[in-house]
Amino acid sequence: MRRGRLGGLAAHGVLVVFCAIIALPLLWMLRVALTDKLTAYKLPPEWGSPDLDNFVAIFVEAQFHWYFLNSAVVAIGSTVIALPLAAMMAYAFARYDTGGATLRLFVLSSQMMPPVIVVLPMFAVFLGLHLIDTWAGLILAHLSLSLPFLAWLLVAFFQGDVRILEQAARVDGATRMQAFLRVTLPVTAPGLLAAGLLAFIISWNDFLFALILSGKPTYTLPMALSAFQTQRGVEIAVMAAGAIVAILPVFVLLPFMRRYLIKGLSLGALK
Amino acid sequence: MKRLLAFAALAVALAFAMPAKAQTIRILMETVPDTEMIREMLPEFKEATGIDVEIEAISYIDMHTKLVPQLIAPTGTYDVIIVDFYWVAEFHAAGWLMPLDDLAKRDGFDLSVYVPKVMETTGTVDGVTYMMPFYNYAMGLVYRKDLLEDPAEQAAFKEKYGIDLGVPKTWDEFRKQMEFFTRDTDGDGERDFFGTVTQAQRGDCVMMQSSNFLYGNGARYYDENWNPTLDTPEAIQGITDFADATMKYSPPGSEGFCFDEAVAVMTQGKAYSIITFNNLFATINNPETSAAGGKAGITPVPGGGLMGAWGWAIPNSSPDKEAAWTFLKWVESYDIAKRRALKGSAMTQTALFTDPDIVAARPEAPVLGELVATGNAFPVFTYTVQFVEEVGREINLAASGQKDPAEAAKASQEAFAELLRKDGKID
Repeated sequence: MRRGRLGGLAAHGVLVVFCAIIALPLLWMLRVALTDKLTAYKLPPEWGSPDLDNFVAIFVEAQFHWYFLNSAVVAIGSTVIALPLAAMMAYAFARYDTGGATLRLFVLSSQMMPPVIVVLPMFAVFLGLHLIDTWAGLILAHLSLSLPFLAWLLVAFFQGDVRILEQAARVDGATRMQAFLRVTLPVTAPGLLAAGLLAFIISWNDFLFALILSGKPTYTLPMALSAFQTQRGVEIAVMAAGAIVAILPVFVLLPFMRRYLIKGLSLGALK
Repeated sequence: MKRLLAFAALAVALAFAMPAKAQTIRILMETVPDTEMIREMLPEFKEATGIDVEIEAISYIDMHTKLVPQLIAPTGTYDVIIVDFYWVAEFHAAGWLMPLDDLAKRDGFDLSVYVPKVMETTGTVDGVTYMMPFYNYAMGLVYRKDLLEDPAEQAAFKEKYGIDLGVPKTWDEFRKQMEFFTRDTDGDGERDFFGTVTQAQRGDCVMMQSSNFLYGNGARYYDENWNPTLDTPEAIQGITDFADATMKYSPPGSEGFCFDEAVAVMTQGKAYSIITFNNLFATINNPETSAAGGKAGITPVPGGGLMGAWGWAIPNSSPDKEAAWTFLKWVESYDIAKRRALKGSAMTQTALFTDPDIVAARPEAPVLGELVATGNAFPVFTYTVQFVEEVGREINLAASGQKDPAEAAKASQEAFAELLRKDGKID
């Protein structure tokens, strides 16, 4: 009993340490966001008089709501397009071994290329197609990042126990598409949500494609944050406020998605 | 499911429905206060010429990455760009910039209004004008006036070194002052006040500041025939001084500092001096943002500081070169340049530094003029960016005690010579 208790305490202690390693930088960032630049850099740290001026500044002066909108449109757009396409691709890989190992490796190989190699030819092509400085251009660019990754991730989900349920549906007279839409997708929904969240984060955090392919009207949040590195110094306090706002959607989504995320990430392990 | 598909279809349709951009001048600039000053005056330009201007500002760090794809394209997005002085040779070699001499001659725009040193570094390549200087960032020595004027400090300094404590006019004076002001003020055995703040982070950060240490010792990067001179005794002494300043007279962590961290030490009132861009003097001397506010002074770096500047350029990929030129003539006209200067801009035209109205508003203007006029040019050739990376690495290694300064100088010399040979400047 005592050993169990001590063991539990030790385990929690280790977890607290790791949580602190992850949480402290975020808490520090929150602290900087509530102060001004002079106080932010002081060592030993001082608290100053916390206020919300930086949060007001990023919306009133820096027009953050527009960058937020751009990020949201591009991230939601690329996720909504990537998920069904990746699901169908993964289903084909899982059920019919389409293209064999060659096609799967080919899809994976696109992830092995550093994005900086792809972005210049992409710029040249998009320029010709008038896709520079458009939401559509950024969505297409982010699809190139998320689609292969999601397809690979979802293959394992479609190889699980869901096959049995699908076969049962087919025996009952469902077509392949009906079985896919009405049985496979609902059962693997947790996995799809987890994959969708990852695709959203990939798009939300992208900087390189936004830098090269967007213009001021389509700047996303990472671009807006980088603009706080001015030649008169980094506007650290305002930037911290902007960063807090930028990570807020994921924080808001996470409690709702947590159940599905854990289920979804482990579902693929069941074969 | 149907709702999801409908939403997706709407999102896709919306995304593709973004309106095509009207033909206006688009300018890519850095995030500096001068950009905002110009943005505020744009309605006047529109009224005078009927041309719309859209200014896009990004941080300097991302500028080169953003510019290159635009310049490679047959027609880019930007009509006017801001180019850092050490990209101009690279961009010129690649054929990306439009020469401006013919346009200036055609419309009677006098290019001799600019400070000659600035024009030489930033404006011309092999005698042809490609850029009009917009923003100087000549480096100066910012120091704490109050410490120099303190009688107790003066007496102690005179006793220790046998010379008067004053605004440093020679490099040796400054070396002594760096040592003198580095001290432990609270008796805990740790230095907590520093003679200077260095920024030895690899790349741009270390190269910009350490250049001043070389110039202060009389060293130069190359001679009149482009032969590199980084292994001379003066250059080795310059690197040694920088290493000493970083390890002995600057706060711990300076090996990784860049401009922001270094200036933060000054604004916290923890250092006597910093060699930095002259436009950061306003930040350091502002009581609202700095503990050194109202107590700072600026003077030319003994031996001449680093000269740097950004300039306006019209890329060959500009969609509307004539409108771009119309904008440049307007924004660099004396009237507009003066109004920018009165708001605190970084000046590049000679007459502005001694204009009575500007001197009245900015008493430090004549000193800034001296800084800009006496600055030393940094090597500007096709491979300047690589030069900054390779030599910056060597100087960082010396500054953090990982390499002997003489060895770092030798390695820098070899790296520089290799790049010059590649550019065809030397055999």
